[in-house]
Amino acid sequence: MSDLVIHVTVNGDARPWRIEPGDLLLDVLRREGYWGVKRGCETGECGACAVLLDGEPINSCLMFAAQADGRELLTIEGVAQGEKLHPVQEAFLDHGAVQCGYCTPAMVLCAKALLERSPAPTEAEVREMLSGVLCRCTGYKKPVEAVLAAAKAAPKARGKTARRAAR
Amino acid sequence: MFDRIRAFHRPTTVAQALRLFEAERRRGGRGRFLAGGTDLVVQRDRTLRWLVDLTCLPLGYVRRVHGGWAIGATTHMTEIEHSKPLLALADGILAEAAGTCGSQQIRNMATIGGNLANASPACDLAPPLLALDASVVITGPGGRRAMPLDRFFKGVHRTALNGALLVEIVVPAPPRGKAAWSYQKLGRLQSDIAVVNASAGVVLDGRGFCTRARIALGAVAPTPLRARRAEALLEGRRLDRAAIDAAAERAAAEAKPVSDVRGTAAYRRAMCRVLVTRALEECGHRAGRSL
Repeated sequence: MSDLVIHVTVNGDARPWRIEPGDLLLDVLRREGYWGVKRGCETGECGACAVLLDGEPINSCLMFAAQADGRELLTIEGVAQGEKLHPVQEAFLDHGAVQCGYCTPAMVLCAKALLERSPAPTEAEVREMLSGVLCRCTGYKKPVEAVLAAAKAAPKARGKTARRAAR
Repeated sequence: MFDRIRAFHRPTTVAQALRLFEAERRRGGRGRFLAGGTDLVVQRDRTLRWLVDLTCLPLGYVRRVHGGWAIGATTHMTEIEHSKPLLALADGILAEAAGTCGSQQIRNMATIGGNLANASPACDLAPPLLALDASVVITGPGGRRAMPLDRFFKGVHRTALNGALLVEIVVPAPPRGKAAWSYQKLGRLQSDIAVVNASAGVVLDGRGFCTRARIALGAVAPTPLRARRAEALLEGRRLDRAAIDAAAERAAAEAKPVSDVRGTAAYRRAMCRVLVTRALEECGHRAGRSL
């Protein structure tokens, strides 16, 4: 097999990757140590392998690694800033939204993408977004509450609350 | 899984994509065009030796063209779902159908061209596009040509492409007059592969008579299809309860469903009648008629 070299940015770091033409993105990410990207159904149904590609969620089990050349990827490993968790991660902890944790990285990434696009989502929007990630512990209620809470805690909403309190 | 693929090409122009496809085809071994991968990867075809990736081609667009809209073949479902002109076109049925093509992650990857070229009988975009009289533009060694979408599907996972490339989908402007449209899909969840899907479109005159009717069905035959006899039954008739029931009955009779894991043939035929009824009722309501 002839190897290819692709250049991707993962969690802000430029990475040259030597891959084979038929490699799937999921396999390369895990081989490179991004173990937060989970291997689930490998048919695009469960969403456990979701990562953000230029800010939008995709299933890495359905994408050839070669197609990621020149693109920007975000995995769960890049969501916290050092020791400081992302508000969605904080909310997942506060609301007990994590059970076995296998689907959690994908849920957090999908939620982050949603909140960046739509800072004050409705519950229906949150549920629609989370429907692409299956939780086999069947814990859906807490993640929905967590994402809605993270949206409320975002700086814009906090500003409003502060103004209300000052009045 | 795809460890026997020896070449992965990423052309940036349509001409380059066709040249690479032809060169690989002459070299031998099985290969395919690839876009979002949401069907191709799942099919796990271990005989593939090469791929020509289309995601670098400049084919992601929704553009106004003379007499309608042109949609580039690699436009993602998400883009169609949120496209302002497509939300405004024909009661938004095309955008609505795109919004049911799997989860958000799938819709960020899957393309309109891939959805059609994969030629699944349950293809979500086919019923609305057939109801809208859409055509496809294909380019190959023999040049560039357009063909009506209902001549594009040849069987389960078979199309008229034969090595040519689907580059654009053209949706003509809907006819003038009081037109109304509907998209219906039956699945356990809206994002599932359809058990049955259907679209209808009617143009009504001032007295509520159908001057034009379109009924398109999915997942009830080897290819998505127009229920032409049901359409003929509606045209020239007032859109009322009796006409809707008769057309739905006729459409179900035109279906040739099979049994599979998602439903039996009998269930599909019964649901085909239900979805066509709902589609025509919704058209009626949208056109302001009480049924």
